[in-house]
Amino acid sequence: MRKILISALCIIAVLYSCGKKDSSVTLPDGSLDKCTLRFSWWGGDDRHEATLKAIELWNSIHPDIEIKPEYGGWDGWSEKINTQISSGTEADIMQINYDWLVTLSPDGTGFYDLNKLDDFLDLSGFRDDVLSFGNVNGHLNAVAVSVSGRGLFYNSKVFERLGVEYPSTWDELVGLGKTFGEHGLYPLDLDIQSGGTAWYLAVVYVQQKTGNNFIDMNGNLGFSVENLQTALDFYKLLEDNHVIRNVRTRTDSDGNAALYQSPEFINGNIAGVLEWGSAVGKYESVLEEGVLEAGDFLKDDSGNSGGWFVKPSLLYAISANTKYPDESAEFIDFLLNNEECADILGTSRGIPASSYAEKRLESTGKIAGLVQENYEMLESMDTVTISPYMELARMKEFYNDAIEKVSYKLADTHEVAQELYNNINDYLESLK
Amino acid sequence: MKKNYHNSVGVGKYTGLVLISPFIAGFFIFILYPFVCSFVTGMTNYDNIHQPEFVGFENYINMFSDSDFINAVGVTLKYTLLFVPLKIIVSLFTALLLSLEIKGIGIFRTVFYIPSVLGANLAVVIMWQYLFTRNGLVNQFLEIIGISPVSWYGNPDCSIFIIILLRLWEFGSAMVIFLTALRDIPKEYYDAAKVDGCGKVKSFFLITLPLLKNVIFMNIVLQTISALQEFNAPYMITHGEPLNNTYTVGMLIYDEMFKYYNAGYANAVSWVLFMLTAIVVFIMFRITGRLKEEMQ
Repeated sequence: MRKILISALCIIAVLYSCGKKDSSVTLPDGSLDKCTLRFSWWGGDDRHEATLKAIELWNSIHPDIEIKPEYGGWDGWSEKINTQISSGTEADIMQINYDWLVTLSPDGTGFYDLNKLDDFLDLSGFRDDVLSFGNVNGHLNAVAVSVSGRGLFYNSKVFERLGVEYPSTWDELVGLGKTFGEHGLYPLDLDIQSGGTAWYLAVVYVQQKTGNNFIDMNGNLGFSVENLQTALDFYKLLEDNHVIRNVRTRTDSDGNAALYQSPEFINGNIAGVLEWGSAVGKYESVLEEGVLEAGDFLKDDSGNSGGWFVKPSLLYAISANTKYPDESAEFIDFLLNNEECADILGTSRGIPASSYAEKRLESTGKIAGLVQENYEMLESMDTVTISPYMELARMKEFYNDAIEKVSYKLADTHEVAQELYNNINDYLESLK
Repeated sequence: MKKNYHNSVGVGKYTGLVLISPFIAGFFIFILYPFVCSFVTGMTNYDNIHQPEFVGFENYINMFSDSDFINAVGVTLKYTLLFVPLKIIVSLFTALLLSLEIKGIGIFRTVFYIPSVLGANLAVVIMWQYLFTRNGLVNQFLEIIGISPVSWYGNPDCSIFIIILLRLWEFGSAMVIFLTALRDIPKEYYDAAKVDGCGKVKSFFLITLPLLKNVIFMNIVLQTISALQEFNAPYMITHGEPLNNTYTVGMLIYDEMFKYYNAGYANAVSWVLFMLTAIVVFIMFRITGRLKEEMQ
């Protein structure tokens, strides 16, 4: 019996070692065949409803190519897609995040090369710089749906009640802490959870101040230890001046709830949020209509407003394992460029990067509100394109650990900055 | 002499094997195969995407210099040491109460078992937030009785207790095992003890506890194994925070596997967790002398 068991174990080990997938790419055949495609995305209810309606429209136009939707919230989504891709069971068409290009397709072969599908996918409505977001190693792995940046949004009612204006400089933001603190309120909130807004704002501050980019597009750290320390000092300044809650107060008040689910935000005790223009809807919807307003992108006293980030908020990609590349490309083209589809999707994924869809929404007056204000302000500024390396999960862990140590006063900012510098450099080096 | 396996009810030589074959097949496919695959993957640098390369014991060696791993092992052991004795005491105490023969005891037993069915799901997470956040019900109650509010989520020393409290609240399974064992103790023992002038407390220590010895040990082993593998509660309630003080080995395995695309390392850590669990259980058997009994 023992011999049988040992033999079985050896056979399993050998079979497993030899059994790793070695997938081959299906080439486009230039025709649309009858098939069923899977399309996966994450988002909130507004995005789900709009996308399902768009799929209904597609199915009525292309009855031979059925689209099966797979959707859910963001929590756990990247883990799910990672598992699917590693087992070769991912959807044919996927909404992906910018940093997934680094982790899932570092050499450009992780997703289908869209350059090969120009018979069905019209990219003439995209600027070259927008298309370059999805380019990895000469392969067009994905197309950006929209370009977005994080901006500041405030509860206008609270600001009116206290008789203060929205800040337009960093000093004005810090100054607000005193007025708000006297009433037991906070003008802003920054987190170290999945949003990671605390480190994001601190980096923007240093980029504007020094002109250095945090991480370049090739994954090289552009900040020195001193720059990192300045970022951490700035974060501490915000905490110490009652501009934001410290990590402990925040965790005690909200547990793990996101800010838009927190009574502190809903009741107006927290009067501001830093959020992507394409995702601010969830904060808008928990307050009275029209209460949340877009504030300025902060600048220094000399009027320099540089350093703010933009990035492709979402991208569409086709699985490298799909058996139907032509049909998948046709569907992405429909989502990006079709005017009727643009009407249905609106700004549920931000303001479309495709000029065809954007013009359509402009002509029908559907580009409006906070998304538009945020977008227009960003368009007029000297922005920095975020590096996909900055958003990697491991990197976020480094930032959050550093912020936490500073907030809990476990070490001085220089010590933490040095540790952060070493961690980031070692990790980025390991990816090369 | 050749044995004749045939009998009047038609049981042949291979009947037993045929009957257990579904289990054997399930064991090979769902237990043995993943078990071996996990070990092989732990010897590679597999990232869930690319072809894995054999790296020998590198992943195991790297663990000793990984501060996250060392911290996670410390948190897991601390959690286990705090949780298991509390769980045994609470479930045994409740089982003693529910073994009383009073009217409507069946309803009480059902009600006390409900938390075990709920588990650490989203509804429970929201309830925990209502209970343990700064203005939560627990702090409101503490203020009423004149005790300062506790920083449950934010204080690194307290956060582990909200995880423990959640698991303690789910004492149903351990309690049912105790309850069954308590009902098996003959009443005559207590009657005889009463005649001899033995009080209830003394009866508990001299009759109940010694007769529950085996069941207590079994419950300790089961709870220890589940505590060492804890993942759900810290993942749902604290995300391992603050300052990684609730970051267990189970969470580390999950993060390395699914967040950081480090399947090789994650599988190596899961084997270390397996070995750690086996060693702890072995020590428990040794200390109680049960290993000798089992061997005999």
